[in-house]
Amino acid sequence: MKNLVIILSLFSFFKLTAQIDQDSSNSYKKRVLESTEIDFLSSYYTQDGDNAAVSGGTGTEELTDATATFVVSIPLNADDVLTIDAGVSAYTSASSSNINPFDDGTANPFQASSGASSGDVWSNLTASYSHNSDDRNDIWSAKLSVSTEYDYFSIGFGGSYTKLFNEKNTELSISANVYLDTWNAIYPIELRPFGENGNGINNSLFTQNTITGNQNYNPLFAKFKDETRNSYSIGFGLSQILHKNVQGSLSVDIVKQDGLLSTPFQRVYFSDVADSFIEDFQLADAIEQLPSSRFKVAIGGRLNWYLNESFTIRTFYRYYFDDWGINSHTASLEVPFKLSDKFTLYPSYRFYNQTAADYFYPYETALSSYDFYTSDFDLSKYSSNQFGFGISYNDIFTKAHIWKFGLKSIDLKYYKYDRNTTFGSSIVTAGFKFVMN
Amino acid sequence: MIKHVIIIGFFSCFLSSCVVVKEYEKVNINDPDMVLADKKCDRNVSTMHSYREAATGANGGKTGGGCGCN
Repeated sequence: MKNLVIILSLFSFFKLTAQIDQDSSNSYKKRVLESTEIDFLSSYYTQDGDNAAVSGGTGTEELTDATATFVVSIPLNADDVLTIDAGVSAYTSASSSNINPFDDGTANPFQASSGASSGDVWSNLTASYSHNSDDRNDIWSAKLSVSTEYDYFSIGFGGSYTKLFNEKNTELSISANVYLDTWNAIYPIELRPFGENGNGINNSLFTQNTITGNQNYNPLFAKFKDETRNSYSIGFGLSQILHKNVQGSLSVDIVKQDGLLSTPFQRVYFSDVADSFIEDFQLADAIEQLPSSRFKVAIGGRLNWYLNESFTIRTFYRYYFDDWGINSHTASLEVPFKLSDKFTLYPSYRFYNQTAADYFYPYETALSSYDFYTSDFDLSKYSSNQFGFGISYNDIFTKAHIWKFGLKSIDLKYYKYDRNTTFGSSIVTAGFKFVMN
Repeated sequence: MIKHVIIIGFFSCFLSSCVVVKEYEKVNINDPDMVLADKKCDRNVSTMHSYREAATGANGGKTGGGCGCN
């Protein structure tokens, strides 16, 4: 049996080597990217639900987000491409606004407040560079990214190597990325006086407002000492043309995260602590506490089948697990339907489910004696269904122009996402591709 | 051991590809809808999923960076 394994391994190796040698003899060289391309991507996202993590698993999750991104790909020569990706995302969030629910009107977890935390802007800049070998069978790439928002800063860098062989029927890739993130931690307003050097219950928040319920309010609170979050990932990919109409891929991503993985402004209410209120808002018993490390593994596969000139079937499946106790399955199906040379419709369906994290406790079910707890329903057990529909316009002759750029394609899509909890969302996306003439 | 034989045998077959599709036969494979990745305009949808769902990765999307906490 051992010999059989060795023979099979040797066979694979020599077959692979032969294919690489054969492919290297191909002398035809085409520019990797003929001319500069610009993608303008935008989206408008809305969500709502009744399980806001900011207010301990109960309260409005209403949020809107508008995003605009430019992706510019510039051919530096026949082999190299530089891509600049710049994006801005502006959001307003009713749940985040309740980091301080006492800034106007009657405080209530189901109503938005108007303070500084009710909105923010996320900005991102990513530069990537790729180099292709003369025979186009080896591709190296490197990237650097920076993103920032009021309470969070992230810098990331990474690289990848892709090898094509078997007459470009097979592709193997490996990638690695590192993200070094830093929080500027913001805590729920009522907990801040209980931090180091705070004046506790003598703070004006409590002297100028009446505490109802348990008037001896004494939360469990200490600021996080470490405000860094680092993510390290490595990914492996294999794609294969299986037939002149079918191709598939397998990929594995392994991620290790360290540092502050809790979100500092997410409240938790314990079942063994009496409730305190100001107006209609329950004062936090604590903020969520999650382990300082997380190990994630995702294994995914795609299979695309060109059925005929009108229909293509696109499928995706992923199994995910991590050491916080979450297991998840994702499956999606998209069936592009070409109406003509220029117009294609994109109906799609996506199913997702996950088990709960070991540290998830709904509103008022965690005990104050636990080490770790969260009431973030994104870490709860749930399943979701997403239906989508899109249309795209393609003009390979780029007849419509804006300055020196010809319009190559327009994509419009709409997705409706619903969990089997109260959470639901929808997103409209638009993408415009221009090519420099 | 049998497991190893099956795995290596599978990959051996996969790597050597039962059918080698020539460049001139790749018209359908090169169709934009056959790309083994999400369309660019779906990027913000993937970002939304990575913020709202525990599972990330193995889909060509981001695997880290950013808090996704709102």
